[in-house]
Amino acid sequence: MFLRLLLESFLRQRRRKLLAGIAILLGATAVTAMLGLATTIGDRIHQELAVYGANIIVYPKADTLDVKVGDQSLKPATGNAYLHESDLAKLRSIFWANNITGVSPELRAQMGLQTKAVPDGVGVDAIGLWFDHSLSAGGGPALITGAPMLHPSWKLEGAWPQEENIVSSDNREELHSDVVVGASVARRLNLHVGDTLLTIISVPHSDDSFKPPNVGLRVSGIVSTGDITDAQILLPISVVQQIANHPDAVSRIEISARTKPEDAFARRDPDTLSPQQHEIWYCRPYANSIAYQIAEAIPGAHAEQVRQVEQSEGTILERISGLMWLISAAALLAAAVAVSAAMATAVLERRAEIGLMRSLGASKGRIASLFYAEAGLLAIGGGFCGYIAGSLLAALLTAKIFGEPTGITLHTALTHAFNPVLLPVVLALALLVAIAGSTASIRGALRMDPSAVLRADA
Amino acid sequence: MTSTSATATKISLSRILVRSLKHRRARTLSALAALTVSAMVATALLTLYADLDSKLHHEFRSFGANIVATGPLTVADIQHARAAAGSDAVIAPIAFAVAATDRGTPVVVAGVDFPTMHKLDDWWKVDKPWPTGPGSLNAALIGQRAAGFVVNESAVTLTYNGQSITLHGAGKLTTGGDEDSRIYIPLKTFSEWTGVQPTVLEIQVPGGEDRVNTTIAALQRALPALHVEPVRALVAGESRIVDRTHALMYGAMLLIALTVAVSVLATLSASVLERRRDFALMKALGASQTQLIGHFLLEALVIATAGVVLGYILGSGLAWAIGQWNFGTATLPRISLLPLVLLLNLAIATAAALFPARVLRGLQPAALLKGE
Repeated sequence: MFLRLLLESFLRQRRRKLLAGIAILLGATAVTAMLGLATTIGDRIHQELAVYGANIIVYPKADTLDVKVGDQSLKPATGNAYLHESDLAKLRSIFWANNITGVSPELRAQMGLQTKAVPDGVGVDAIGLWFDHSLSAGGGPALITGAPMLHPSWKLEGAWPQEENIVSSDNREELHSDVVVGASVARRLNLHVGDTLLTIISVPHSDDSFKPPNVGLRVSGIVSTGDITDAQILLPISVVQQIANHPDAVSRIEISARTKPEDAFARRDPDTLSPQQHEIWYCRPYANSIAYQIAEAIPGAHAEQVRQVEQSEGTILERISGLMWLISAAALLAAAVAVSAAMATAVLERRAEIGLMRSLGASKGRIASLFYAEAGLLAIGGGFCGYIAGSLLAALLTAKIFGEPTGITLHTALTHAFNPVLLPVVLALALLVAIAGSTASIRGALRMDPSAVLRADA
Repeated sequence: MTSTSATATKISLSRILVRSLKHRRARTLSALAALTVSAMVATALLTLYADLDSKLHHEFRSFGANIVATGPLTVADIQHARAAAGSDAVIAPIAFAVAATDRGTPVVVAGVDFPTMHKLDDWWKVDKPWPTGPGSLNAALIGQRAAGFVVNESAVTLTYNGQSITLHGAGKLTTGGDEDSRIYIPLKTFSEWTGVQPTVLEIQVPGGEDRVNTTIAALQRALPALHVEPVRALVAGESRIVDRTHALMYGAMLLIALTVAVSVLATLSASVLERRRDFALMKALGASQTQLIGHFLLEALVIATAGVVLGYILGSGLAWAIGQWNFGTATLPRISLLPLVLLLNLAIATAAALFPARVLRGLQPAALLKGE
């Protein structure tokens, strides 16, 4: 009987149910979409903030000093300490390995360039980098990374050097590679994409027996960076290693990592913490803890957060996600008001029905449970549809707003659209609001005298 | 039945209105609550939305300078640059020289104004309080990597062109950038010691890409000899993130507005349907269809207006609280938003009132009053 009443109520009063259902659906959609956006906004903004470059910098622990000012390097860095390129794979096995989104090692050298325009050769700073390197450690998925990923603001005309275009002769006397030249070098030497140039070496070597290879370079692209790099030439790091006779050497590593904004605990010195606290500190993705783990993994390395990027990113991330959470709260409030108003309406309209049931002998409890069951069914149905609609809406907004440069297409956004954790949350909220919203009117209707209700209302 | 010609025998429209609002107090209050919430949410979101750009740009100022000018600079040049960039810009002239430390290592020494650098580069970590006051003329901030090349950190001796100077080490500087390899000393001391003029102007202007571009143009006009460049990564990234957040907020606003509109619709339509008997009675007593709908519309608009007054106050308070809590700066109420919120609420109320009014048209007074 109870089930039949419930069923008939839904079949016969479609218009009324529709209004309440739509209110719940819209409310659940709004709340799901906002929660979905608020929970992923951190990753999205981190991707956007990637334009500011690395947030962790790694250099050899041995004392070295960069003597450079603004857009010019006054003297080569003092000291000759290097890290090993082969150690970089160890980055893939540290505790927060998955939070490392970009790795860019570099090795600098000075060399002479010989072109048709300047047959006598001219000195330039060369910088060896990864461009599209696949970094993997034993079996795990590889991280495709390189300098262009860490510097999205670099504007390239042409293409980045390809690692497979490096051709070395068997006796190591001939070496051919692509090169990307900085905009001001290209202007000065009148270089264009596709030009070939020869290099001669002018780097002083302690090892006199070393005979540098003859290098043939082809300009594959011209890059404009707006900083010191405009006056440099960019080569694959293995080429610079061979020219400078520093096999496997890396002088500096830029790392972009997803971090948790710094708090007071993050600033503690890990060596002064108790073992338990050290464990907690170690297992949180603070920039400091990730830097600490990197320094542990790479022999002879010192890792440091780039404070300009890290500190400022933290505040911006906090502000924007804080704003999203507050707007989600506003959406929740609006949805709660909408749903409880619609539920109250649905009950008020049916006072005559309640009067009839009571005069036929139904107890207050039974009537109340009938109405609560209706509200619950509406909430679950509306909440579920709202969850689907809201998740799709959030994916659509994400793809629309954070689209092309970050590589989020509608397709990838949709495949990650449904966050299973949100479903129970949204259903529980819908149930709570629907039941709380109808309670006042159900109680009001039950308090009325059935005969008065039946006489008064049509 | 116009209110101006009301007599003792005739019932005026305003009296019916007041009575009907008073009599069904619970109903009126719930409609008022719905409309207040709608006005409140609209006000709060619109206020935040209007303020969002300046708030976010303000946050981005923590990244430091967004324009860098390079070239030889005289004192007069710096004055011109200050005038061209505007009074709200932060301008830091910096002079560089390569000096030798007491260990004989070459190190970059920079002459700066400490208070300006502190303001500009808030992320610099100095392990002691920033040097201030007259004693700071003799102070040096030593980058953490440069510190490895200094024997005596409390009395740093630097030599440039045969001229030696001994400064008091006022703290170790950590930034994770090039600054770590440098030693920073006051510009005045630097000029007296080396005679080298500043060559770099780090400039921070508040605002987005447009403001940066106009400032660069003004600087280039005032000082044609200088090479002025935006800090490209910073400026481009900033506008992108501000735009994205802006779009996100816009989407959220529409979504919430729709939800609130449904809530108001539900509440108001209930209040009409519930009062079918009243309307039937009025109709039986000779009221026309237009009068009935007019009455109902007026009732809705009165409630909507009251809702706007309450909601505007509450919403402004909410926006202020969110601004204070999330951004640490107050979001002041914007009176210019009031007409927009009023219009929005009146539109919702009108739509909500006209929707059930269609039901009233088909009303049969006799049948209704008889109780069928």
